[in-house]
Amino acid sequence: MNDLSMRKFYGWFTALGLLVSLLVVVGFYKDTSRPWKTYQRQYIEQEIRRASTPQEKLLAETTPVEIHQILLPELHRVDRCTTCHLAVDDPSYAGYPEPLGYHPLHDEHPFEKFGCTICHRGQGRATTVADAHGDVPHWDEPMLPLKYIQASCGQCHQAADDPAAPELARGEQLFEDRGCRGCHKLHGVGGNIGPDLDNVGARRSPEWLRKHFLSPASVTPGSAMPPQKFSETNLEAITMFMLSQTGEQVPGYYASMKVIPSSSEGQRLFEQKGCIACHSIGGHGGKIGPALDNVGVRRTPEWMMRHFRDPQAVSPGSVMPQFGFTESEARALTDFLLHLRDQRVVLSLPALMTPVERGREVFHKYGCAGCHGPAGKGGVPNPNAKTAEQVPGLIHVADGYTKKELKARILDGQKEIAAMDPKRPPPPLYMPSWRGTLNDAQVDDLVAYLFSLKPKGEDLGF
Amino acid sequence: MKPPLVKRLWKSFERTRVGRSIFRVGLPESRLERSRAMISSFLLHVQPAKVSRRSLRPGYTLGLGLISLYLFLILIATGVLLMFYYVPSTDQAYNSMKDLQFVVSAGLLIRNMHRWAAHLMVVFVLLHLCRVFYTGAYKRPREFNWVLGVGLFLLTLALSFTGYLLPWDQLAYWAITVGTSIAGYAPLVGQKLRFLLLGGHTVGQEALIRFYALHIIVLPGVAGLMIAVHLWRVRKDGGLSRPDEPGDLVEQVESGQLPANKTYGLMELARGTTPQVGKDPEEEVSAWPHLVFRELLLFLLVVAVVLFLAIFWNAPLEEFANPVHPPNPAKAPWYFLGLQELVSHSAFWGGVVVPGLLVTALLLLPYLDRKRAGIGRWFARERAVANTIFTLCLVAAVVFTVIGTFFRGPNWGWVEPWKQPPAVTEGP
Repeated sequence: MNDLSMRKFYGWFTALGLLVSLLVVVGFYKDTSRPWKTYQRQYIEQEIRRASTPQEKLLAETTPVEIHQILLPELHRVDRCTTCHLAVDDPSYAGYPEPLGYHPLHDEHPFEKFGCTICHRGQGRATTVADAHGDVPHWDEPMLPLKYIQASCGQCHQAADDPAAPELARGEQLFEDRGCRGCHKLHGVGGNIGPDLDNVGARRSPEWLRKHFLSPASVTPGSAMPPQKFSETNLEAITMFMLSQTGEQVPGYYASMKVIPSSSEGQRLFEQKGCIACHSIGGHGGKIGPALDNVGVRRTPEWMMRHFRDPQAVSPGSVMPQFGFTESEARALTDFLLHLRDQRVVLSLPALMTPVERGREVFHKYGCAGCHGPAGKGGVPNPNAKTAEQVPGLIHVADGYTKKELKARILDGQKEIAAMDPKRPPPPLYMPSWRGTLNDAQVDDLVAYLFSLKPKGEDLGF
Repeated sequence: MKPPLVKRLWKSFERTRVGRSIFRVGLPESRLERSRAMISSFLLHVQPAKVSRRSLRPGYTLGLGLISLYLFLILIATGVLLMFYYVPSTDQAYNSMKDLQFVVSAGLLIRNMHRWAAHLMVVFVLLHLCRVFYTGAYKRPREFNWVLGVGLFLLTLALSFTGYLLPWDQLAYWAITVGTSIAGYAPLVGQKLRFLLLGGHTVGQEALIRFYALHIIVLPGVAGLMIAVHLWRVRKDGGLSRPDEPGDLVEQVESGQLPANKTYGLMELARGTTPQVGKDPEEEVSAWPHLVFRELLLFLLVVAVVLFLAIFWNAPLEEFANPVHPPNPAKAPWYFLGLQELVSHSAFWGGVVVPGLLVTALLLLPYLDRKRAGIGRWFARERAVANTIFTLCLVAAVVFTVIGTFFRGPNWGWVEPWKQPPAVTEGP
């Protein structure tokens, strides 16, 4: 009896044992058959075909099939793109179809130091096509379309003077000129009518941004933002600049590359660090240090570089402090000083400017033009506002306000804008308070500038 | 008839010096050996040497308790493997998940197995609780084992809940945020309890490390110990429950009543009865192979089901946790969605009174319901009232959970899952 019942068990054990084994095999097969292995084998076949010597052939044949990854702890990234894109650093693969294409331009951005996703985005850790390219649900960073790739330069570099990213620089220029900061904060500077833009490039797709510029309300119902008029090239440029604002803070080495050494960057540094307090150019400036007009003739670039790092090392007894310039900052300053030899430089130093000039800079920097139009000419729609459904222009403020009144108006703002028709929704745009953002001197300059806008030849009286 | 090859190979191994040193009793042949095999093996001795045919009938227990135990073992095995890769830091936890998926051999499979076994364990522990209720198996002398069982059910929920946070994705982050805020509704202690659990007022690194420690050592340790006691009590309380028969429930000899001028054997002091006492030998069979083999077969079946689910359905992983971007609606893990649904109607009644009363009622049940009729039979007519009340509670719990899971959309509004959800407009 016992043997008989044992037989029954054997049948069940065999069946279930086979089932479990089968599932283990299926699971194992599914786990080991990964698409990247196919790509690697194709590459190896290609290499074997291209081998011209027995040694090369042997090398190709013994290439292991394995995950390739670039570890970038500083950038919080692990990029496994080269698991499939095996020939990115091999120029002889130029023009090959992906994934075996060659990636030019890596002298200044070596893969070991940058990986791939810092520029191209996507999902570096992933090893399947859809996941890696980021075209899957629950991954917020799909690959950046190649035509917007300049946006990535802006992650580390200052857009304005990156010679390799002209469109991005144009985008930044547009951002400042159109007065976007009047409503939006970027890097802490700007108004608060619209949302901060610090990580807009990580949150929004290019398509969304384009649509939003042309018709904000179509993608964000109830948006107060007036539709923007952009030519196609400008639209692409401003989209690109927005895409570059990912909010990602690059550390260490990468951040130090923010400044691409150029003489215009050198000039900016020169103005910003207050060099003019001790040195003079063209007769303007301090007398403690030597005049710099012909320093490029007197000194070699190497001398200047050493001097910026440690003034006393090359000029014993110098009282110039060590500023702790980075390598690229020192190079930019050197470029600027060498440049002085060749042409006259107009410094935009606050101390050398008239109040009206300084006021114009404030008007520009804080995006007043965003609502009040370029040079305060008005024309920006503000639906249902009593002032002809537009934000008022500013060229006639000198007629209606005293300087003191105008200053108070800028500092206090005006939250409630009178409506033309009380039944319709209130006007979306309003005058924010600039107290706390602008200091007293800046407001004074701004008022001076606004007063200067009054067209010449017009009389006061009417 | 010649025994099968595997058996012959095994036998010859047993006869070697090494084999004899490992197995105190080899593959048993005679009835005596079978009993000795059960008693002398560490792994088997928790079970009786002989079991009644009644206990082997699959229709009585449905193997639910055993399935729960197997799932627990699978969870421990897969969990330990996952621990080799998982880093409980808000920076790295999510990346561990990605690495498991993309580069660790069988990483995704093991994570899937862990996930499915965890969900299944919640289900099967609940089903086991239902089985014990419907067969009236919680009555004397098994009252305390029922209480332990209710504790194990709550522990299972806690284990699943603490594990839910670990991937540190949007799903995890918001489920735990919602789940712990339900705990915050308890009067007086609620907010303190939530603070204690999270190590702060919001879900962050402190919460992650707490949940991790609870999930990998504290809760499994306590659960493992309680499971051991639970099983031991099954033996000591007289094996699987069955209808009362004459001779059952011998009153325990109180030590105070023992005449002191007499010596006692251990048997005389033992409490209650053992299944063997006063039973016909015909009603019983050797636990080896009849019980042990069935248990092993069930184990293979459970492994097969978990593997099957793990191969074909991936465990979810959403975006990296983002504390400023809550999904709408943010939902707790599915087994708490009934609770969340109740809370959406009334935080106090739904979040405190109802669950509090339910747990208290479950814990006190064996001490309140002491009638002896209907033990050891499914849906006994004599227990119609108790069964009806229990069924109503169970159906209500299931209905609320289903509503919370499938019928709640943005802002916890009513949606019908078979209809296309309305397009959600993005904020500025």
